[in-house]
Amino acid sequence: MNQAIEVFSPNRVISKQTVRWMVGFQLVLLFCIWFFSPTVFLPKPKEVWQALGEMWMEGLGGELITSFVLNLEAIALAAVLSLLMAYLTVIPFFRPIVTLLSKLRFLSMVGLTFFFTLMATTGHELKLYLLVFSVSVFFVTGMAEVVASIPKGEFDLARTLRMNEWRVVYEVVILGQADKAFEVLRQNAAMGWMMLTMVEGISRSEGGVGAMLLNQNKHFHLPAVFAIQLSILLLGLAQDYGIGLLRDVFCPYADLTLERK
Amino acid sequence: MVSYTYGKTLLKVDDVSLEYDGRPILKHVTAEIKDIICPDHVQGQVVGFLGPSGIGKTQLFRIIAGLNKPTSGRVTINGQDRPVQAGEVGVVAQDYPLFEHRTVMSNLLLAANQKEKDDKAARAKVVQYLTEFDLLDKASLYPVQLSGGQRQRCAIIQQILCSEHFLLMDEPFSGLDLLMLEKTSELIQKVANMDDLNTIIVVTHDITAAAAVADHLWLMGRDHDARGNPLPGSHIVETYDLIERDLCWNPRIITEPRFVDFVREVKERFRSL
Repeated sequence: MNQAIEVFSPNRVISKQTVRWMVGFQLVLLFCIWFFSPTVFLPKPKEVWQALGEMWMEGLGGELITSFVLNLEAIALAAVLSLLMAYLTVIPFFRPIVTLLSKLRFLSMVGLTFFFTLMATTGHELKLYLLVFSVSVFFVTGMAEVVASIPKGEFDLARTLRMNEWRVVYEVVILGQADKAFEVLRQNAAMGWMMLTMVEGISRSEGGVGAMLLNQNKHFHLPAVFAIQLSILLLGLAQDYGIGLLRDVFCPYADLTLERK
Repeated sequence: MVSYTYGKTLLKVDDVSLEYDGRPILKHVTAEIKDIICPDHVQGQVVGFLGPSGIGKTQLFRIIAGLNKPTSGRVTINGQDRPVQAGEVGVVAQDYPLFEHRTVMSNLLLAANQKEKDDKAARAKVVQYLTEFDLLDKASLYPVQLSGGQRQRCAIIQQILCSEHFLLMDEPFSGLDLLMLEKTSELIQKVANMDDLNTIIVVTHDITAAAAVADHLWLMGRDHDARGNPLPGSHIVETYDLIERDLCWNPRIITEPRFVDFVREVKERFRSL
């Protein structure tokens, strides 16, 4: 009874077992709402499951791999470019350039397709450029903010330890913010999946789960749409978990002060 | 009274002035710390640096640490004919900063390696300090896992490992209970007396604690005009030699009436700044 009250009280730290019970209950509740929903536009779990089987036979697995590889490539490239640009903000000359880059996040991807088409030689390259651009403008914004908000005291500590300014950058900006870089990567990698379907819709030559989703959506095959969305969600969660795991391995100090650890 | 003599000048603040947008913050600040030589034991130097809030203590603190440059004048150490550089004077800020992404051992090795060229020698020195300060079993922990006292000791060791025997401590007595205050005073004395050349400048508001731990006190303030209004630009208006007054190197000094009288005298002067 006390635990039931605790899960509804603010700022309570609850045991792992309570978390398991709570999440289990919420999943069952969600499933029940889905199963018993009177809405005709919401396909029932059984229909989605059947559609998933059919889609799998039609090559959903392969399309998921194609999309996953494309997303991974884009995230890796975007991460390298964005981190580099964000770290370069320690040099005053690059700050306006990075500020400009971060403002480009307001641009529509569709409007940029033409320019990227001119640059790309294959459909894969076009999708990659579009994704890298879309993820990078958000990634660089988040990471530049992380760099800008490092307290003066951290730089001073490095300086009092006889470090030259390049070493200060390495110690304070790169190593010192590695945990936050992983967190920004995590957020933007998720955004990559969101944009992937749009990008795969723009260039369908290679297929991919995005093209598949748009096809099903066009023909209003809602169970299939749900099945694909569910697959993307599961793959995205696995990717999110993987990045989280990397963060825990390389930055074990990151969550030591968190109340809800 | 313990016999002592003064040796060479270890640190010299030489006519330092600082201006921001034409507004004087520090004006012709001059002070020095000489090596105190006691024939029968190792004796470091501890200076208590006092002054009201907003007087410019932090600005002078940063200039002594080599973190900021003065508008004119300079700070020199060990008789060198060049201004002090960042890293030569250790700085222990109020919140005892450490690199949160490194373990205690890694934090200290980083500092030791900046001074020691040999990695093996650096490690040996770190282990020696960790043992000396009762932190050896904490070597693999991250700073966030340390208690306040452990973190304080770790931050002090890190700076001592890297600096040239100089340590600036910013408000080390702030917010401490009586027991912790005594422990911090003991720690300052311990660090100071580890080497004849060890020199600690304690920036604080706590006159009693500073007088109990220091051999000299610097009082920073401003001059006043005929109407009693403060003139812009601070400097060290008073220096107290506690050795001369036989008020230092005695752990029980704070209970003696002459110490209480001295603290009262400094407080009176402090109020007039």
